[in-house]
Amino acid sequence: MSTKGTHIPERLKIPFAGITPAPSQEKGQDLFPTGNWRAIRPVYRDKLPPCNNACGTNEKIQGYLDLVKRGKYVDAYALIKEDMPFPSVTGRVCYHPCEQACNRGKYDEAISIRAVERFLGDLGQALTRDVVKAGAPNGKKVAVVGSGPAGHSAAYQLVRLGYKVTILEKSPKAGGLNRGGIPDWVLPQHVLDREIERLVELGITIKTNVEVGKDVTWDDLKRDYDAVVLAVGLTQPNSVRAEGENKDGVLYGLPFLRDIGMGTSKVKLGARVAVIGGGNTAIDCAREALRQGAVEVTMITVEANPQEMPAVPEDLHDMLEEGVELVHGRAMTAVLGNGKVEALQLHPARFSGAINASPINVNREVPAERFHVDHVIIAVGQRAALDWLPDEFKSDRGTIKIDRFGRLGDTNFFAAGDVVQLGLGQPLMVVNAVGDGKRVAFNLDKVMRGESLQPRTIPVDVIFDLNRMNMTYFPHFPRVHQTLLAPASRRKTQEEVIQALSEEQAVEEAGRCFSCGTCNACDNCYLVCPEPCIERPSRSNGLYKILVDYCKGCRVCIEECPTGCLEGVPELDFDTGVVRMDTAFAILPGLHGRQAEELRNLAERPAKSI
Amino acid sequence: MSAIEVQRQLLPILDSPNQGARFYNPELPSSEPFVPGHRTCAGCGPSIQYRMTSKAAGDNTILIGPTGCMYVANSSYLCTPYNVPWAHTQIGSAGSFTAGVAAAYEAMIRKGKWKGAYPNIICEAGDGSASDIGLASISGALYRNHDCLIICYDNEQYANTGIQASSRTPYGGMTTFSPPGPMVPEAKKLYPKDLARMMAAGHPHCYVATASVGYPIDLMNKVRKGLNHKGAAYLMVYTPCQKGFVYETPRSIDLGRLVVECGLYPIWEWDPEKRQYDYSFRPQNMRPVSEYLKLQGRFGHLHTQHIANLQKFANEQWQMMGVELPEALLQAADAKNLVNMAAAEEAVTVAETV
Repeated sequence: MSTKGTHIPERLKIPFAGITPAPSQEKGQDLFPTGNWRAIRPVYRDKLPPCNNACGTNEKIQGYLDLVKRGKYVDAYALIKEDMPFPSVTGRVCYHPCEQACNRGKYDEAISIRAVERFLGDLGQALTRDVVKAGAPNGKKVAVVGSGPAGHSAAYQLVRLGYKVTILEKSPKAGGLNRGGIPDWVLPQHVLDREIERLVELGITIKTNVEVGKDVTWDDLKRDYDAVVLAVGLTQPNSVRAEGENKDGVLYGLPFLRDIGMGTSKVKLGARVAVIGGGNTAIDCAREALRQGAVEVTMITVEANPQEMPAVPEDLHDMLEEGVELVHGRAMTAVLGNGKVEALQLHPARFSGAINASPINVNREVPAERFHVDHVIIAVGQRAALDWLPDEFKSDRGTIKIDRFGRLGDTNFFAAGDVVQLGLGQPLMVVNAVGDGKRVAFNLDKVMRGESLQPRTIPVDVIFDLNRMNMTYFPHFPRVHQTLLAPASRRKTQEEVIQALSEEQAVEEAGRCFSCGTCNACDNCYLVCPEPCIERPSRSNGLYKILVDYCKGCRVCIEECPTGCLEGVPELDFDTGVVRMDTAFAILPGLHGRQAEELRNLAERPAKSI
Repeated sequence: MSAIEVQRQLLPILDSPNQGARFYNPELPSSEPFVPGHRTCAGCGPSIQYRMTSKAAGDNTILIGPTGCMYVANSSYLCTPYNVPWAHTQIGSAGSFTAGVAAAYEAMIRKGKWKGAYPNIICEAGDGSASDIGLASISGALYRNHDCLIICYDNEQYANTGIQASSRTPYGGMTTFSPPGPMVPEAKKLYPKDLARMMAAGHPHCYVATASVGYPIDLMNKVRKGLNHKGAAYLMVYTPCQKGFVYETPRSIDLGRLVVECGLYPIWEWDPEKRQYDYSFRPQNMRPVSEYLKLQGRFGHLHTQHIANLQKFANEQWQMMGVELPEALLQAADAKNLVNMAAAEEAVTVAETV
């Protein structure tokens, strides 16, 4: 029986048989607050998806894929720009550690995250005004030495924090490794030019043809700027220490690519070219050699088979498609010829231990092979040129010595990118340099504001296990593949090999994302709750709320949460008799963090107001 | 006398939650005719069904609850968790009461005493009421074609009196009326009454369908189709009972999916216009029945022969739906290829000591 329309005296306004309060949508039937049946409380707790975790700069990949699914492209672009200054570049060149980590890879095929990033990057390039703005000026001047990925990223983050940033670049054009190390058919120059323009639009001064050690000295930097970020990269190619390496026709990988990239190359390749090395730069060199007129390109590696090569499998596959030959298990011991390369002397060789991290054993007992070539390109890694650096900051690995915050001793100098990461065991890639630049920029900001630097202590829960999600909600669905130019036509041109996704393709691909561990407002918990005690003012991550007065703790919502965002926490600790509200704290900041804050304050609030 | 125009609420059909690879439920109505604050068990299947049904029906709805779980547990101390008119009736009179409500609204509209749209009249009968005690009255309401929707929430037993066998209890299901023992090791020997098909065959002018809580959008759409159908509609919904089936509460929806994937609860629609069954609903996977049985304590005593019998039953259901049986399911109908349920051996020893 309802009391609607009945006058009840105040003193009788207590629920008893015959006069019971009418239920309402807002309050439910509050004669039966069944929440005290509960032993386990469902809690929305966003976890870190493996892609975000694997990304060198921790892009919020799940976040932008979710926005793309819903057609909010500019929001998605803005989200990506928080961590990544140039999604159009990494959308083309990144070795996508995120895709290797993608949980969907264990289910059917990993999501083509890089392709969606490129879609967003290209969209951002087309915008007349960028979504990012410079921070309010704080009057401090920072120099960033080098305009490669790490320098670009550090400068970008610093200008957003309000610093007056000057980039010093030794080449005639800014871009660093993005321009000099990456061929045009992977990253067209105009894409990079546009990203550099964006930096200038933010108010960054770029001084080209300024080389540290030659045009400016350590003391100049110290005197003229409040702080300095050194992102000078690795500029000197390693040699293989073979006899006759100084002959004409011996080229080195990165300078070879750099000269082509800067437009200053004078090399005219002969018909037969050999590339020494098995890494990503060697692959780029081999493919570039074809485009520079070589007819027959052979790649000579110490690794015994293609699987051992420290290279991205897709790139290797594309290179083989273009017709590059592979020779495994050989080392070049001498360059033969009279003043100019005529042939290489090869011996069988293998790594004495781990691939690429141990000395090479060359078997000189078998007779040497003679390998006819017109040019040889040596691409076996780079090292830093640090003559200008005070000795106290040089490390044994030939890199800049920093503490764990990227700082050089107690100075206001910071270093980031390949010049500190070389030899740490992690692969050197653009996205890692970008992440390093970002973190160093934030640390620099802390030092400038007089805060102490502290390592991160928040525990991170990365969701690797598919059993923590409900896979019945995800049908198997094939990956959307980017189209490639046909091998026969692409091997002679500088046109981009990998084509962009269309809008429909990008949405379809983003739709494959599981949203591992993160609420994507699918409404399933809301729909399956038997009470129903899940409330949401609108569909959005962070707005779902459990009415704890009524939740009986059946855990249907937890079981049926497709993404694994919901989890159960024990309500009562019977050993201590204390209600364990603290177990409900969200471990990651985010929208659900607000809800956790509410839970934290539950104990202090009167029971009926909860 | 001019014809009287009856304003009808034509409820829109919801989109599927699977958009390509993406799972995202369609926009649901915001009204909540069924609110929290009731004494159903945690993870109650019928309660999930109630929530989905009332959400699909909306605010202009009248609910009728004959005696059963959802009457006893929901309306205690004269209070109910419904935001819409609700009335109780005796377990045997589900159909006649519903017919009365429908006839009353028809009369009020005829006399001009009711101005709004014709309300959604929904009777929520348990399987005890719908398949045993109230069968006659429901059949009468369907036969006379009153404009109403009669839902049988099928938890396969009399649950509110403490788990007794009904004619919907499956073969092998243990209840207090059908305990396993040395004479009847499979607990229940009879196969369940094919209630929905009986209603479709006997009242071909009605919209009849089966649904499961494991497929919420399908269930909500069938509720809306039944309400949009001018005339009587009948819906049988699988709703697991955590107490009677003896399973862990989180698996309620999962069981609703598994029972369909195992072929024990075929999902179909009877089209009253074309006078034919629509068997086009297909679950994502097909599984052997043991995957459904092993989650539930009520089947814990089953031996291989009984599981094989249930598999044969499921295979017949698949064939009836026109599905070609994979080799694995044919194999699973042979007791040689099966193993006893985990508790089966213990059940024998316990039975012999009694």
